[in-house]
Amino acid sequence: MSTVVEQIEQQIAKLSSKAIKKNTGTIRAVADGVAKLDGLSDVMYNEMVQFPGGAIGIALNLEADEVGCVVLGDVSQLKEGDEVQTTGKLLSVPVGRALLGRVVDALGRPVDGKGPIDAKEFYPVEKIAPGIMVRKSVNQPLFTGIMAIDSMIPIGRGQRELIIGDRGTGKTTICIDTIINQGRINKVGLASGDKSFRPVYSIYVAIGQKQSNVVRTIAALEAAGALEYTVIVAATAGDNPANQYLAPFSGASIGEWFMENGMDALIVYDDLSKHAVAYRQISLILKRPSGREAYPGDVFYLHSRLLERAARLDGKGSLTALPVIETQAGDVSAYIPTNVISITDGQIFLETDLFNQGIRPAVSVGLSVSRVGSSAQIKVTKQVGGKLKGELAQFRELAAFAQFGSDLDAKTKAQLERGSRIVELFKQPQLNPLSIELQAAILWALQKTYFDAIEVKNVVSAANSLKDYLTSRKDALLTKIRTEAKLSDEIEAGLKAAADEWKSTFAAQ
Amino acid sequence: MRGDKKTKLLAKQLFKLSLRDGQVSSEQVAGVLGYIEQAAPRHALALLKLYQQAIVTELAKSHARVEHAGPISAATLQLIASAMTKKYARPVTATAQPNPRLLAGLRVRIGSDLYESSVAGQLATLSHAV
Repeated sequence: MSTVVEQIEQQIAKLSSKAIKKNTGTIRAVADGVAKLDGLSDVMYNEMVQFPGGAIGIALNLEADEVGCVVLGDVSQLKEGDEVQTTGKLLSVPVGRALLGRVVDALGRPVDGKGPIDAKEFYPVEKIAPGIMVRKSVNQPLFTGIMAIDSMIPIGRGQRELIIGDRGTGKTTICIDTIINQGRINKVGLASGDKSFRPVYSIYVAIGQKQSNVVRTIAALEAAGALEYTVIVAATAGDNPANQYLAPFSGASIGEWFMENGMDALIVYDDLSKHAVAYRQISLILKRPSGREAYPGDVFYLHSRLLERAARLDGKGSLTALPVIETQAGDVSAYIPTNVISITDGQIFLETDLFNQGIRPAVSVGLSVSRVGSSAQIKVTKQVGGKLKGELAQFRELAAFAQFGSDLDAKTKAQLERGSRIVELFKQPQLNPLSIELQAAILWALQKTYFDAIEVKNVVSAANSLKDYLTSRKDALLTKIRTEAKLSDEIEAGLKAAADEWKSTFAAQ
Repeated sequence: MRGDKKTKLLAKQLFKLSLRDGQVSSEQVAGVLGYIEQAAPRHALALLKLYQQAIVTELAKSHARVEHAGPISAATLQLIASAMTKKYARPVTATAQPNPRLLAGLRVRIGSDLYESSVAGQLATLSHAV
């Protein structure tokens, strides 16, 4: 009680009898979350505008005789003639560690019922991306925990890697697995007391998604213990388009705080197709000229300025971006997919056919690429998985040929056999990321032909058995792989002994 | 209806013709209205609305509306008018408008600028801050 009175007293003490100048305007029209305003002669582009009833708007169209403004909040209370005021502030969101483990809306307000967020700092939602000189090349790995990605399409800290595919091909699953893997790595790393360890904090931005999906994602992260390292920015399908348009920019600001303060962060934009649709809706209502597929002319700039904010900064931290794009019938040449492909540093393409064949994650090796390449891989992954992508691509080509004839030479048959084993080995259940040391051990076993004698249909169970064996009995060896990050003679000897022992026990089963 | 591009352009041109020495001139406005009546351009109603809005906006820039709770003297009004004339570097007139909802103090509106010095305004700021 007394604190409330104190607060009021403090605020009263701040009041001044001097006249305060405000720039005002009136609502001329409100439609579909967009207000047309008269007046506001001093308003800035992207400035927050105060509506009656506490609603906030952002000035997006500054014209000679009117201001177009998107309203963030309930528009049902607004009517023609209502007075609006400029605030002199650009839209800002709370940032900092206080947001970890929380679910917020596009304006950074908590929506998880866990009380207010004690944020000390605010960052503007729109910020110019870091320049050329402050950036550093991407050469530190960010492990997704997905063997097919970490070994063939490595992602580095500060990279922008697009996840693209049709609906229901496992795009979100890859992102969630990556976030869960960061949580696991953070736990192990922070518990080890290693001062050089750099945790990766995650930001998951849900744009235009069903609320039930967001709830499921939160539950999955909570169950995996990754929520405490994650911030969720939710602008679901029920939110107005203005919030959906702003959410990724708010998420980027939250991520930038970690980057600017010497930490590493990962941001997932799920998904930018819906973001583009929300922006198209706003632009059409604002009567901006429409272009291809009715998207406004600056839809490329919309995504490029967002994704350029992901970077690795010299002497500071990094922000890695995983934007998601949903394609229609596998068409990667549509407008928004090609835009985002050209902005990002590579893409992971998920194929519906592979998904339906049970190959999950359904990563298409031919169409997926990481432009950062092996510079974002640790040495052990390069040693055991350097040739995998080529082998798998060769296998896909040969498999297509093999369908037409039965007479195959021994070499082709061997390649097909090996390829089909690699495909089996890369199958991985969802919400179950693998540590990089375990991935290395399994790929080493593959390289050393330990799986060649096993029937293709049994490869998955054999790999699971090997994983269980290594985690339960060879923990010291796995720790050594993780800490040394390369295959030394000693590690290789240890792996050989372990694999031989496992082989004898597996054969006996 | 806000009118099409041509109508907007014509309204803008007619507005420019209505100014003399940077001020809205009643004679010029009468001339413009006479022209509209005679020429009867397309979308005349939309044109008139746009023209009227431009004139109202321009006039509001030279007119300070002083809302007050309690009495206000002619001298105070004159003081406000001269202060605004100096600040905006154009002749500004001031008219009083009683508004008991302000509780006490003044609120001066000129163009889209609002100078708030009322108790109601202070209370609104306080309620927003707490």
